[in-house]
Amino acid sequence: MAARVSRPARLLEGRPRVLHAVAVVVVASFVAFVLPAASQARRYTIAFANLTEEPGLPVEGTGFTGADVRQSFVLAARGQPIDLVLYDNQKDPAKALANAADAIQKKVDLYIQYFPDTAVNKDVSEMLRRAGIPAMAVNYPMPGSPLYGVNNGAAGRIAGEALAQFATQRWAGQPMVAIVLGNLTDQANGLPERSQGVRESLTHLLPAVRIVALDTRGNPAQISPLLGRAAASSPNTRLLIAALDDTTALAAKATLDAVSRTADGVIVGLGCDRSVHGGASEKKEIDPNNRGSILIGSVAFYLDRYGYEVLPLALRMLHGESIPPRTPTRHTLITMTNVWREYPPYDMQ
Amino acid sequence: MMLRTLRVAGLATLLFGWTSLAFAQTDCKTLVPASPWGPNDQTGATNRVTPAVTKAAAAEIQDGKVVPLSYPLTDGVPLFGTRFSKTILTATTLAPGAALGENQLTYMEDTWLSQSHVGTHLDGLGHIGRKDCYFNQTAMGKYINQNNMTRLGLEHLKSFATRGVLIDAVKVYQQAGKLKSNPNCKKPCLEKGTVLTRADLEAGLKMYNVTLREGDIVIVHTGWGDLFEQFPAKNAEYNSGEPGIGKEAATWLVSQKIVAVGTDTWAVEVIPGENPKEAFIVHNILITDNGIHIIENVRTDLMAAEANSTNRATFFFNMTVPRAVGLTGNFVGIDGIR
Repeated sequence: MAARVSRPARLLEGRPRVLHAVAVVVVASFVAFVLPAASQARRYTIAFANLTEEPGLPVEGTGFTGADVRQSFVLAARGQPIDLVLYDNQKDPAKALANAADAIQKKVDLYIQYFPDTAVNKDVSEMLRRAGIPAMAVNYPMPGSPLYGVNNGAAGRIAGEALAQFATQRWAGQPMVAIVLGNLTDQANGLPERSQGVRESLTHLLPAVRIVALDTRGNPAQISPLLGRAAASSPNTRLLIAALDDTTALAAKATLDAVSRTADGVIVGLGCDRSVHGGASEKKEIDPNNRGSILIGSVAFYLDRYGYEVLPLALRMLHGESIPPRTPTRHTLITMTNVWREYPPYDMQ
Repeated sequence: MMLRTLRVAGLATLLFGWTSLAFAQTDCKTLVPASPWGPNDQTGATNRVTPAVTKAAAAEIQDGKVVPLSYPLTDGVPLFGTRFSKTILTATTLAPGAALGENQLTYMEDTWLSQSHVGTHLDGLGHIGRKDCYFNQTAMGKYINQNNMTRLGLEHLKSFATRGVLIDAVKVYQQAGKLKSNPNCKKPCLEKGTVLTRADLEAGLKMYNVTLREGDIVIVHTGWGDLFEQFPAKNAEYNSGEPGIGKEAATWLVSQKIVAVGTDTWAVEVIPGENPKEAFIVHNILITDNGIHIIENVRTDLMAAEANSTNRATFFFNMTVPRAVGLTGNFVGIDGIR
């Protein structure tokens, strides 16, 4: 700031002191008031093309919906110099292309694409490149654009570590079996990577423990019979259960309750949607006041926070800064001890 | 005697140990600023209501018109979480033959079982802290017992007899062409999650040509109270979020040296908040850090209409807070006198 003021002043060397002073004041005023005002006034139009807005339809193999993702962008844009243009790709390639075309026509400043189809993303990328519009991608890559998104492998490893840590602290020396439970073959949502992450941690930290995979094939009704049989075939054995999503985690807990094996089980879920955590009065499973639950935690995927992560990156791009080619979600294990720190409830006012 | 002494000592040790465990002492000087009114201050921003401030505010009473600023406190109004407010009427002397004396005196009275932060209510200085640190670096763990606080209770507050200033945020948004009303509101209201900024507040003041003075109480009309008025039908929507002031606006209000800020919402601040990982941060800014009170569920629509029709947004703020020793807050009745 000081250098900006003094340089024009030096240019006036030899002129009368009054002129000198006037110049300093003018430049200082410009720097102090006009420049900040101009930068404050600059607003950006950012388009976000969501994967889907279909009510109740879960995304990314979690309990979150497209509406949760969209709402996070709306909330995160408040107070930022951003005018959002929201699109719904409806999981439809034609719609995704039409949305990009519309955004180009609207001359948006930046386009954020959330769509899984590689070919479509390549076409959208090319359309935007020709129009000179920078882009970002969410969860699925788009050529030439920075990617923000889920890291299923890392999330799985966190879940495996949590189970191993619990087993080591509480059940050391006791017979144990680890169970990976969920829609194991759901390639589209990266559940094999999630499952592999769990296995990596368990194998590393509890090498002697046998790992059993129970594939529900996306049918929640299969959770109880599959897990019930597995529990029955392992009597007098502790059960370390990694549930690949929260619905499965809650169903696993209900199953162990039903077969009277609650005392033998410990469960970690993945996703951490509102079915497992909630407000102060909701009494969900992960709650500081629910200290006895065998569902000890869930690895957060934060789809309800995407906007808060992606929009600051978008603004940095628009300000000409470089951002990493890939920014993974910072997955965290949410337990009763940190749930209200990570997700402060606001139903206790 | 020896045994008794040992028992007492043991009990004292147990109690002391429990207290220490339950309220781990934090260095409050690192978490909460000192009060500008000194290390022993338990009064906070009502220190600003001096006789001169009250006298100046009295000039707002020009025609004696009284405008209510409270909602009724009755069964069915929105309450949060597990909060409750219940009354039981004692009317035994109305039974046949139960009247007293030749003059047949009868009487009735109430038992009021209620939490204090219900209906139109004031948040006191002991309501909100950071960890165990409250206003004026008070390490609250040392000052609470089963029944109340022994510091920062309502009994330490001075008068709220000062000037009230209405800011009509609905009108600000209408005039800026950016009002997106919640469909559940019968009258125009700001949508939940709307962040009121310093610029919004300043626009609202400019609209009625008001400049804030030290000692003022600011009342913001968001229209969200329309949902309160529809109780119990819209309670869930009312409680699901709210428009309100953001951090920047709160910080600016602090700089204006006001006494309190109230709105027709249940938390005054915007919900969901600006940062999803912060909990009720505006409460911290106003109450914990600056001793400025928050007044929730204020009925603002009548004063907004009054200001609109008279082009005057200031009034004498008339609110009495009971000298309830050790309480963190209480329901209040408020009138704006013009």
